[in-house]
Amino acid sequence: MSFLDLSEMAQKLLLMLGPALPLAMGLALLLRSWQKILSRLNGWSALPALAVAVILPLDTYAEFSWLLLKVRLGLDDTGRVFLFFTSLLWLLAGVFGRSYMAKDQNQKRFFFFYLLSMSGNFGLILAQDMASFYLFFALMSFSSYGLVVHNGDAEALRAGRIYIYLVVLGEVMLFSALVMLYETTGSLNLAPLALAPANNIIFALFFLGFGIKAGALPLHVWLPLAHPAAPTPASAVLSGAMIKAGLLGWLRFLPLGQVASPEWGSLCILAGLVAAFFGVIVGVFQKNPKTVLAYSSISQMGFMTVSMGVGLSIPAIWPVARAAVITYALHHAFAKGALFLGAGLAPKIKDGRLQKWLLAFGLGLPALALAGAPLTSGLVAKTALKLAIAPLTGPWPEYLALLLPLATVGTTLLMIRFFVTVWPVRFASSPGALGLRLPFIVMVFFVALGAWLLPEAQKSAHKALSLDSFSLALWPVAAGILLALVAFALFRRKTDSGIPSIPAGDLVAIVSWLAKPCQHVSQKYLGPGIQELRATLSMRLSPFLQVYKKTEFLWHMEKVLSSWLAVGTALLSMSVVFFLLLLFSWQ
Amino acid sequence: MSLDFWLPLMIVLSSLVPGILIFCLPEDRIGLRTAANLVGATAKLLLTAVMIWGVFHGHVYETRLPLLPGMDLVLSADALSVLFATLSAILWFLTTLYAIAYLEASPQSRSRFFGFFSLCVSSTVGFALAGNLITFVMFYEMLTLSTYPLVVHRGSPESMRAGKIYLAYTLSGGAVLLIAVAWLKALVGPLDFTEGGMLVAFAGLYRHEFIVIFALLIAGLGVKAALVPLHGWLPVAMVAPAPVSALLHAVAVVKAGAFGIVRVVYDIYGIEFAAKLGVLGPLAAVASFTIVYGSLRALNQDGLKKRLAYSTVSQVSYIALGAAVLGPVATIGGLVHLVHQGLMKITLFFCAGNLAETLGIHYISEMDGVGRRMPSTMAAFTLGALGMIGVPPLAGFISKWYLGAGGLAAGQDWIILVLAASSLLNAGYFLPIIYRAWFKEPRGPWPEDNYGGWLETHWMLLLPALITALLALAAGLLADSPFSPLQWARLIAAREYGL
Repeated sequence: MSFLDLSEMAQKLLLMLGPALPLAMGLALLLRSWQKILSRLNGWSALPALAVAVILPLDTYAEFSWLLLKVRLGLDDTGRVFLFFTSLLWLLAGVFGRSYMAKDQNQKRFFFFYLLSMSGNFGLILAQDMASFYLFFALMSFSSYGLVVHNGDAEALRAGRIYIYLVVLGEVMLFSALVMLYETTGSLNLAPLALAPANNIIFALFFLGFGIKAGALPLHVWLPLAHPAAPTPASAVLSGAMIKAGLLGWLRFLPLGQVASPEWGSLCILAGLVAAFFGVIVGVFQKNPKTVLAYSSISQMGFMTVSMGVGLSIPAIWPVARAAVITYALHHAFAKGALFLGAGLAPKIKDGRLQKWLLAFGLGLPALALAGAPLTSGLVAKTALKLAIAPLTGPWPEYLALLLPLATVGTTLLMIRFFVTVWPVRFASSPGALGLRLPFIVMVFFVALGAWLLPEAQKSAHKALSLDSFSLALWPVAAGILLALVAFALFRRKTDSGIPSIPAGDLVAIVSWLAKPCQHVSQKYLGPGIQELRATLSMRLSPFLQVYKKTEFLWHMEKVLSSWLAVGTALLSMSVVFFLLLLFSWQ
Repeated sequence: MSLDFWLPLMIVLSSLVPGILIFCLPEDRIGLRTAANLVGATAKLLLTAVMIWGVFHGHVYETRLPLLPGMDLVLSADALSVLFATLSAILWFLTTLYAIAYLEASPQSRSRFFGFFSLCVSSTVGFALAGNLITFVMFYEMLTLSTYPLVVHRGSPESMRAGKIYLAYTLSGGAVLLIAVAWLKALVGPLDFTEGGMLVAFAGLYRHEFIVIFALLIAGLGVKAALVPLHGWLPVAMVAPAPVSALLHAVAVVKAGAFGIVRVVYDIYGIEFAAKLGVLGPLAAVASFTIVYGSLRALNQDGLKKRLAYSTVSQVSYIALGAAVLGPVATIGGLVHLVHQGLMKITLFFCAGNLAETLGIHYISEMDGVGRRMPSTMAAFTLGALGMIGVPPLAGFISKWYLGAGGLAAGQDWIILVLAASSLLNAGYFLPIIYRAWFKEPRGPWPEDNYGGWLETHWMLLLPALITALLALAAGLLADSPFSPLQWARLIAAREYGL
């Protein structure tokens, strides 16, 4: 694939520049005198990473022996595909962002976090050792907090809060998993976990830790809040590119294609299926177009989880399943990126026939692609998935043959819902900047072409063009449209508020929603009895409660500790504690 | 009597002499006092640099002066003492700069302050270079006495009370330590620090005595190392001026305890011998409890320095935990945290001091939007806090990585749980501060605003914080470079285990 011959030195430099340039540009934004020049170039800092993905030969490695615990960067075949769509998405969203954020007062802060997250995202794809993978993953996760809360309203702050809770939880899980993996392999090189019963904890930690990023249920709750809360260019990269970092983590560390693990495999397939349907069901009841898209991302990631589960179940199929995962990832990144950019562009479209057609086509193509309509990249991805599940044994093939088309019907519905919510009621009087339209058009172009050109997808692309898969792909889309028409007829009379809706962030809302009626119910129906019980209990327990009621009772302890008399007691008790512990460990 | 003999003593004297000089200076000779401070600090840095170069090239530095029959005052430079002496020389230099800017306008006697400040550093370097347990205890006690005037420097009732508590704890801890050392001396003779442990030679003898003495030593040292329940003095002592707190938490008092534990485990008992005696398990348990307890207490403190103080309680026990786990990897983790915690914590205290001195901010609830008024200070604070949480590429990540891997290598998987809990709690009490400072709107005018220059505050307050923050970043980012703390810790571990 390499059509440029670069010297070894230049190759390594370029490899390093991929993550280093956005980082340097982000940090340089802190210097006031540089801000003016840099603000023009921000969006373009993804170019070296794109160049790495396109022109560097496979298996280019660079080692930096002084950094961290020996940083190793390198380009492997999975990394190349991920870096290609990731850098393209960051590039287009960045260029889009320059126009989109032009009037934002805090645009420098936005681009600071944007560039740092970008650096983290590129770096984690290129990282070939655990410490630097973790470093870049953390850089991306923590920096994108700044993107989520950028708007600063209550909604964004709430989204940011839930996001950061899960980020910290994920970081701790990954840290533990990485240290344990290091202990079993004895090397810091990226190596998939060997599957052994003793390693199930590590597997679970990786699965959950990366699952937070990938929006796996039930750790997805931050995603439908955070992706829409961020400004549009950030939503596009969050939902298109950064969500794939979780997937890449799975590909890097889970024992795929090595040892059969039917249990974990089935669990993954199940989790993927549930996510695929859950995303659709909750998504169609959303009112904010960006939230609809976020739920669609959860649903689409479910398909990728299914193919991963297939690879876990039967290692022999992994090459086919891997092709499906990678094709799906690329296709979804472009389609979701285009849809988010389109959602940001829609209110700025001028009331003119050409402009409206542009928007309709630009949104329609990626939407159809996600639904897997014939001739779209989505069909290539869906065909790849079908190829992967074909050799499965046991009950799965039957279920999947039934459920996957159903999920596609759901995706179609969800995309129609997106159209309904995003289509502007009133169009703008002046056309949006070219800086908004151009990246969008380029993005749509890649939606159309992307998956067809992917080397990994050649087989499924070929098959997707057959008449057979054509007709198979048509009916879920048609059924989805039909269902949407029925729903439209049913709810036509009702105003928007009459249509049922589910609050974004579903489970979070449910937890806080459940807390209230529980209180209410217990008071209303169990009222007298409960109150009596409570009274008796509190009387009995009052001496203990007294202590606990002073939530600051520890503080009192501290106060006691700081008196003269306590010193001797403390020393004595320390010795006693120590001796007791010694007694226990006496050999 | 060559340079190799006198160098360790000269390093101690490089701060002792300016200290005595400063005591003699009248209060208004600011220029001379500053000069004495800076010359001493610079001299110590240069001498330490010479010593690093020498130790690296195989020189043996030892000052041995007879004290009493059978009892020598020994100052020597092995890899461990060089590691700690370097840390204290660098941080003393920066803290001196900081203290000059912080205190020169204060009403209390500055001659007294800087005099004791120098004594405090002399004793810190003294116990770092101590070549046997007797010398160590001498400097350890000298540290107690020289820090007391610093803690009570403000002279307010609150600080006098803090001083009392401080003395009560440290003196009784010192007494316990002295008893233990005297007992051990009576049993086995001179207590020279030996790589691999000196008691190994007495294996098979005095088993029970050794165990009891170990407990007494840890209890005595545990006061300064703030092991729970001996930590009561530390959160109280944070009433001291910021440079004192910074030094206290980063290299001096708290570290004296931790360093002592490291010395006792590795160079008196020897880690393998200690493991055979079965004393490491209890130490690990106490350290782990302290790690979690300190973080829990830090969660609901509104006072910034108080929260930092409880964070120290937690973080310093990482060092004890590293020492309590058998295996070179955990040893590296503990030793490297000796340096890393110092760099990160001194940054945090410098920043807290800057906020207090410049804007009169003492409470976390007053910090809304302070990142806009003091961006560099808060950037340094953010680096320090993220490092404490263990976010790469900061120094704390390297410590946690080695501690975790070391725990697993020793078959003590529960250590991962302690580290995970501690990281979660660290994030729980540091991230809200960062959030307030950068993402919230300022509530109104600051409590006071003492600085109107073009920088955000006096350059001598700002510079030390920035330098230590960058050092904490460099210690993690360049961990694999030849002169990083990690490499020194690897060197020490290799020697202790005879690898």
